[in-house]
Amino acid sequence: MKSRFFSRRDFLKTSSSIGMITAFGGIPTDLFASEGKLVRFPEKTDLILLTSRPPQLETPKHFFKELITPNEALFVRWHIANIPTSVDLRTWRLKVGGNTERPLELSMDDLKGLPKVTYTAVIQCAGNGRSFFDPRVPGGQWGNGAMGNITWGGVRLKDILAKVGIKGDSVEVAFNGLDSGPLPTVPDLVKSLPVDKALEEDIIIAYEMNGKPLTMLNGFPARLVVPGWYASYWVKALSDVTVLSKPLETFWMDPAYRIPANPCACVPPGTKPGKTVPINRMNTRSLIIEPSEGNRLPAGKEVAISGLAFSGGYGIKDVVVSVDGGKTWKETKLGKDLGKYSWVQWTLPWKPAQKGKHTLMARATNSIGESQPFDRLWNPAGYMLNNIEKVDVIVG
Amino acid sequence: MKKNIVFAILVSAGAFLIQHHVPMVQAEEMGPVHSITLPTIPAELKEGAGKDKVMTLCGICHSPDYIPMQPRLPAKTWDSEVHKMIKVFGAPISDEDAKTISSYLAAQYGTDEK
Repeated sequence: MKSRFFSRRDFLKTSSSIGMITAFGGIPTDLFASEGKLVRFPEKTDLILLTSRPPQLETPKHFFKELITPNEALFVRWHIANIPTSVDLRTWRLKVGGNTERPLELSMDDLKGLPKVTYTAVIQCAGNGRSFFDPRVPGGQWGNGAMGNITWGGVRLKDILAKVGIKGDSVEVAFNGLDSGPLPTVPDLVKSLPVDKALEEDIIIAYEMNGKPLTMLNGFPARLVVPGWYASYWVKALSDVTVLSKPLETFWMDPAYRIPANPCACVPPGTKPGKTVPINRMNTRSLIIEPSEGNRLPAGKEVAISGLAFSGGYGIKDVVVSVDGGKTWKETKLGKDLGKYSWVQWTLPWKPAQKGKHTLMARATNSIGESQPFDRLWNPAGYMLNNIEKVDVIVG
Repeated sequence: MKKNIVFAILVSAGAFLIQHHVPMVQAEEMGPVHSITLPTIPAELKEGAGKDKVMTLCGICHSPDYIPMQPRLPAKTWDSEVHKMIKVFGAPISDEDAKTISSYLAAQYGTDEK
C-alpha cells in the first residue's frame, strides 16, 4: 500500500510541474487547491471557485496561517440551487415543533433574549480533501480549504427544545433551512440528529460568527452548530426545527452523507461498503501550512515548519513532525488553546543541513489517543480524509 | 488583424480589472432586511455533440462548472451520475437525451476506461 503511494507520487512529480493536476484522474500534488480560479461573492473575499450555482467556494491556503478564519474567507457550500439571498428579520421566524408538547416561533430578538453561548469551533465539510482520493471519486473536488476556525455565538438548542417539551417517544430532531430545490422533485436539504445528540450541551443555534452576524452565504440569519461533527449537519439559514417520532428518511440522510460502518470509515479502494451509518464526528487532522510543496529552502538557515491541527471535539494532545519522511519525529510547540473544538497552531524550528529533497510530515493525536493513518484511506463518497500528509521541499 | 489583437488585449485587461480591482462587496448596513446579489459566473464546457443538451437540461438545477470540476471519470460513472440526477433529483431528461448527455460527458470528460 505504502510503496504504491510513493510510486504514484513520484510519477506525478516527474510528469508535471507542481500544482493541480486534473487530467486523467491524477491527484493534486499540493495539499491545498491552486488559487487559479478566484471569484468574489457578496460579503466574501476572493475564494477558489468550485461551482457557482449553487455556490461552492474554497478558502485559499494563506488564510490557514491564521488562528481564526475571517468571516469573508470561510468556505461556502450549498447543496441545492435556490439559496436565500434576502432575509427580512421582521418576518423571519425559527419554527420549532413536531413531536412536542407545544409549538414555538422565535424571532431573532427572541433568540437574542436567551442565554448566549460563545466558543470557537472548526467547521469542516465532510468532503474536505476529496480531490486527493485515489482512485478519484465524483463530488465536490475540494482541496483542503473546506474548513475554517470560527468563534460562534448563539443559543443552546437544548434550551429551545426545553421550551417546546420533547415527547417521550421522540427519536430524532430534524433541521431545515430556507434553501430549496430548483424543481419540486429535488429533495429538500433536511438533516437530523438523534435526540440524545441534539440535547447535548454544546450544540447551538448560532447567529454570530466572529462577533458579527452570519454572512448570507454562511447561513444568515442563524445556523446549527454541531461542534466536533462534520458540517453537513450545520444546517444554514435555519427555519425549522422539528422533533420526530420516526427517523428521517430522505436522500440527504440516506444514501447521501453515509460512511462505511467500520472504525476507519474505509473500504478497499474501488469497492462498495456493505453496511453504512450516517457520517458523524470528525477524525483527527494536522496540516502543514508552511513551507509549501516544492518550496526551496536555504541550507543551514533556520526556518519554521508550521501548521494547524484539530479533532472531533477532543482537542489536540500533541503534534509531531518528521523532516525525513517518517523515520524520526519531533514534538512541535502548540500555540494558544482556544478549547477542545478549535484548531491549534503548531510550529517546529528546523535548520536543514543536508541539501536535496526532504519529505516533511505532521501527525496529530487528540486527548483520547485518536491519531492519523499513514495511508490515504478510501471510501466511495470521498469523506473524512485524514492521513498523515507529506510535503516535499528542496534544500539548497 | 491588428484591431483584433488590440481588442483582445483590452478585453483581457478589462477582465483582469474586474477580477482584481472591484472592492469587496459589502452587505448593506444591517437593517431588518439583509440582501445580497449573486454574481453571474460564466462556465465553459468543451465543444462536442450534446453540449447544448448539457447546458440547458443539466443547467436547470446547477451551473455547468459542476462538470469540468470533476476528475476524468469512466463512462459508467458519468452515466450513473446522469441517472442519479433523473431518479433522485427528478431532472426532466428523456431516455434519449440522457444517452446524448452521458455520451457527451464520457467523450469530453471521461477516461479511456469503459
